[in-house]
Amino acid sequence: MVERLSALAGHYEVGRFGESGDVGVTLTEVRDLTLHQVAAWPETLKPVGNKAARAIGARAAPGPCQALEREKGALLRIEPLKWWLFGVEAPALKPKEGATLDLSHSRTHVRVSGPQAKAFLNRLLPFDLREEAFPVGSVGSTALHHVGLTLWRSEVGYELFMPRGFALSLWETLVETAAQFGAEVA
Amino acid sequence: MTARRLSSGGHIDRSKPVKFTWDGRTMSGYAGDTLASALMAGNERIIGRSFKYHRPRGIMSAGVEESGALVTIGAGARRDPNVRATSQELYEGLVASGQNARPNVRFDLLEVNNLMSRFFSAGFYYKTFMGIPPFEWGKGTGIWMQYEKLIRRAAGMGEASREPDPDKYEHGHDHCDVLVVGSGPAGMAAALTAAEAGLDVLLVEQDSELGGSYLSDRDAEETRLATLSALTSAGVRIMNRTTAFGLYDYSVAGLLERVTDHMASPSQHTPRQRFWTVRARYTIVAAGAIERHVAFGDNDRPGVMTAHAARTYLNRFGVLPGEKIVAATNNDSTYQTAAELAHAGAAVTLLDARSAVPAALVKHAVDAGVNYRSGMAPLKAIGRKGVYSLDLAVADGDRWAANGSEACDLVLVSGGWSPVVNLMSHRGVRPVWNAENACFVPGEISEPLSLAGSAAGHWKTDDCITSGQASGASAAEALGKSAPGFKQPSVGGWDNPIKPLYEVKVPRRKLKSFVDLQNDVTAADVRLAHQEGFVSVEHLKRYTTLGMSTDQGKMGNIIGMALMADALGKSIPEVGTTTFRPPYTSISIGALSGRSVGSHFRPLRRTPMHDWNLQVGGTMMEAGLWQRPWYFARAGETITEAYIRETETVRKTVGLCDVTSLGKIAIQGPDATEFLNRIYTNPFAKLPIGKARYGIMLRDDGIVMDDGTTWRLSEADYFMTTTTAHAAKVMVWLEELLQTRWRDLKVHVTSVSEQWAGCAVAGPKSREVLEACVSDAKVMASDAFPFMGVIETELKGGIPCRIARISFSGEMAFEAYVPSDYANALMDMLWREAQKSDGCLYGTEALGALRIEKGHVTGAELDGRVTIDDAGLGKMASPKKSFIGSALRNRPELEREDRPRLVGIYPKNRSETFNAGSLLCAAGKVEGLGEGWITAVTHSPELGHWIGLGFLSGGYEAWSGQTVIAADPVRKGNIEVEIVSPHMVDPSGERMHG
Repeated sequence: MVERLSALAGHYEVGRFGESGDVGVTLTEVRDLTLHQVAAWPETLKPVGNKAARAIGARAAPGPCQALEREKGALLRIEPLKWWLFGVEAPALKPKEGATLDLSHSRTHVRVSGPQAKAFLNRLLPFDLREEAFPVGSVGSTALHHVGLTLWRSEVGYELFMPRGFALSLWETLVETAAQFGAEVA
Repeated sequence: MTARRLSSGGHIDRSKPVKFTWDGRTMSGYAGDTLASALMAGNERIIGRSFKYHRPRGIMSAGVEESGALVTIGAGARRDPNVRATSQELYEGLVASGQNARPNVRFDLLEVNNLMSRFFSAGFYYKTFMGIPPFEWGKGTGIWMQYEKLIRRAAGMGEASREPDPDKYEHGHDHCDVLVVGSGPAGMAAALTAAEAGLDVLLVEQDSELGGSYLSDRDAEETRLATLSALTSAGVRIMNRTTAFGLYDYSVAGLLERVTDHMASPSQHTPRQRFWTVRARYTIVAAGAIERHVAFGDNDRPGVMTAHAARTYLNRFGVLPGEKIVAATNNDSTYQTAAELAHAGAAVTLLDARSAVPAALVKHAVDAGVNYRSGMAPLKAIGRKGVYSLDLAVADGDRWAANGSEACDLVLVSGGWSPVVNLMSHRGVRPVWNAENACFVPGEISEPLSLAGSAAGHWKTDDCITSGQASGASAAEALGKSAPGFKQPSVGGWDNPIKPLYEVKVPRRKLKSFVDLQNDVTAADVRLAHQEGFVSVEHLKRYTTLGMSTDQGKMGNIIGMALMADALGKSIPEVGTTTFRPPYTSISIGALSGRSVGSHFRPLRRTPMHDWNLQVGGTMMEAGLWQRPWYFARAGETITEAYIRETETVRKTVGLCDVTSLGKIAIQGPDATEFLNRIYTNPFAKLPIGKARYGIMLRDDGIVMDDGTTWRLSEADYFMTTTTAHAAKVMVWLEELLQTRWRDLKVHVTSVSEQWAGCAVAGPKSREVLEACVSDAKVMASDAFPFMGVIETELKGGIPCRIARISFSGEMAFEAYVPSDYANALMDMLWREAQKSDGCLYGTEALGALRIEKGHVTGAELDGRVTIDDAGLGKMASPKKSFIGSALRNRPELEREDRPRLVGIYPKNRSETFNAGSLLCAAGKVEGLGEGWITAVTHSPELGHWIGLGFLSGGYEAWSGQTVIAADPVRKGNIEVEIVSPHMVDPSGERMHG
């Protein structure tokens, strides 16, 4: 099988950059994304949600703007009738149940972590990231430099799913903005 | 003025001297100084030159209202003009220089303007130089245009650098429960009360230090520090050096944070300024009040300053601003200042315009050694580059009479206080005139917003604190928290009423009394404007420039209004006030642009084979946000040679083109077929699985919206392609239809534009190329894969791939799509095979040539005015079904026979060319908008001459055999053309079907 080539390939320089001292922000591209959309109809929302949940080893699907993380993968509620399955393949659905769609190549997945991650992201995202507004397990749609993206706060950091075609342009903006916090590309 | 630094006191750090340069001279101040306090301590008098008359100006305040000490900071590309010395923090190596003066502010040749100032009244330049009689009578303003450049150069402020800004800027976003603007006694109290009620509070302060008026109070340091520490413990988030410059809808505030403007050598990684958008649930404005001056003779001389500013220089910066001081007031606030200045060693005379002031207040000043005189006011400052004496006036009923003079080196003025109601005004809250306190106070507010402290017209520090606490409690209550009950104190708070005083004049004495110092507007200008009929304050502002420019009338507005009211015989509230608009203080353009500069002006959108295209020699072009390959020139080839070769190669062998930018939408669900049948004009109900169909969609009004192909992958799964330009529009449109019009349809639409990378493989050898790339060559066999067929298969190396046999070029052609991360692998494979067949890579230029030859329409033709019949595709509109646009496309106007229709265009003389954008006119009638227009032009290698597409009324049949003129009046002139069918190459389509 031919290897996948990331949108950041050739532009991803691992290492420390920006302000010296403590690392405030760590940027990590999570390669080889596996991402499937699972969509239901209004009357099949619950059974389809359950099927999607089982794919990651959970019993029930998360509610709006919530994510559920298990060892195998995660399930993100991204729209009223849609989830994203992260890290695992989609369950089979009949058309009357819903529809699944492979989006594994459509997004570039960048993880933002570190003690200054929130402050850093708010230089770019017009989004309320305060603890009570966006705790671990939250999912949201927001925009970075005019480009819509999906944001998920996982156990390890803020997971950004950026449209692949814009990814390099946004990556450059992320790196430039992160420098002031003392940063690292992992 | 003989100012000097005191040996103790203030918030400066005398152990940390700071060197800076002023107009090339090295000077020294201390950490904690502003540029103004350091210049004052160095006894510098003339800091600026005025806008119009080039009069010498000194430091007139201690804050953002400064209109005298405007200077230029920095040099070269970092030169920043019109900086208020009073709010510029001092740092090691700061370079400051005077502006609007030649050669310098101390000796300015342009001061000649002041000698002629009696001519330079409001509107002078326009009256004098526009339409100069008799040369320009009835002839417009041509001569003015020439004069204007010189006049504009002589007037004005500092000059900005013309070099690119080397600094970085950025935007920031924050959210909070309560935003408190201003950190004086009221702001601190408000923030503390709200935070203690459990709210998330953001406190912003434009100054470097927190405390507001506490900083000017010699006895308040303990209170200030204690409150600060309470704020920190209560979890209040604090931003200093940050100005709330505007309030907007839905509790949005705009802030400007000056991150490095106070640093000698900031880190290269830190932006100079940050432009914040803060979304608060409740906003408390405790922005303070600004002390007004009074219009009297030569009240702009260096050495005339607002009274409270002297207290700030004394108590905050340890500078005694004068040795022999006359302080003139009309209210209680100046007594403490006078006493403190006397206590610090100055000889102080206090003039109070009021005749009767209670003994207790007077005693306080007199005990400190102040020489007190009631019923007195300043009449005229004497001295040019500094004040040495003040002519006095004595109250005479409602008038003033000249009454001797007093030697002095500093004149302090207090004409009352104006609450900073600017931010309220941004929200449309009209201020209300409070006659008792002679100021505007905020009116009724219907938003989660309140004012506190002197911004609400409270003068006493204790009242300000209570007012802040009450506002904090209101915020808590509004946001569902409980807080101790506090009552807003009543407005005002002086023990003795203020005596309104805006101007001091005596009969038969000509005085130059300034109302707006920054704009050189005098009391006479205001009266002249009134005489000439400018009676509305809004007109007064535009005519005299009162209240314009960087200070936005912070000091002069009220005086101007009072004088206008006086001239009209009305009261100030009857005259009204001008509307304050954001920003409160000026913002650099750099901060507004943030990081959206250079290559990030807009986000760049790259296809997955972007780097691949570059590596094989592609030249890219912008198509919307996309970067697309334009052409692939070989060594020595021009763009024209390259695209002609590419076009020929596609028609002869095979070409490859990155078509990833086409919009791609997954349409899924049991009702997907019905959905497609409703949005496309042509039938989709019976499209078999494994087939694609070209479709056109209209808008509701019957005009063409977009075209593309839709592939049926399975029973309930379709793959739609759109044009590059309309991808997002179509996606949004489909989603809107499903969410609002057809909620019963079980269909999901999802953009998969980023999931799939696409390559067009076009030309007679295209099948061979793909056969060599797929794992199983049989899937490409002609009978297995007819025209408009769709297959889902695998490329060598196990790459999943979907291919449709569709053609934009008119040749046998395929579009192959792979998941984006495999794009390079796809291109490597296709290119290896294409080279074996002498194939080429082609870009948008050849793509255009190929489609023009075929008469295929794109965005250039489908411009929002064109019906399906105009585009020559009327047969694709099904008469048997209803679809979006099917009703309104039959409007008589859209069915007229003489509508411009798609035509092909040849130059009559085949060796000539013509331009896209030319108008098509009937021979001998080159006028008006003509009969049509040209949308696209290319050289056709197939035909051997230039061809074009365009629209012409009635279509090509109506014009066959006639000469038509392609008129291009501003570029090429008139070219004779012939009109032909738009299908100029292979009209029967044999090649693509073959």
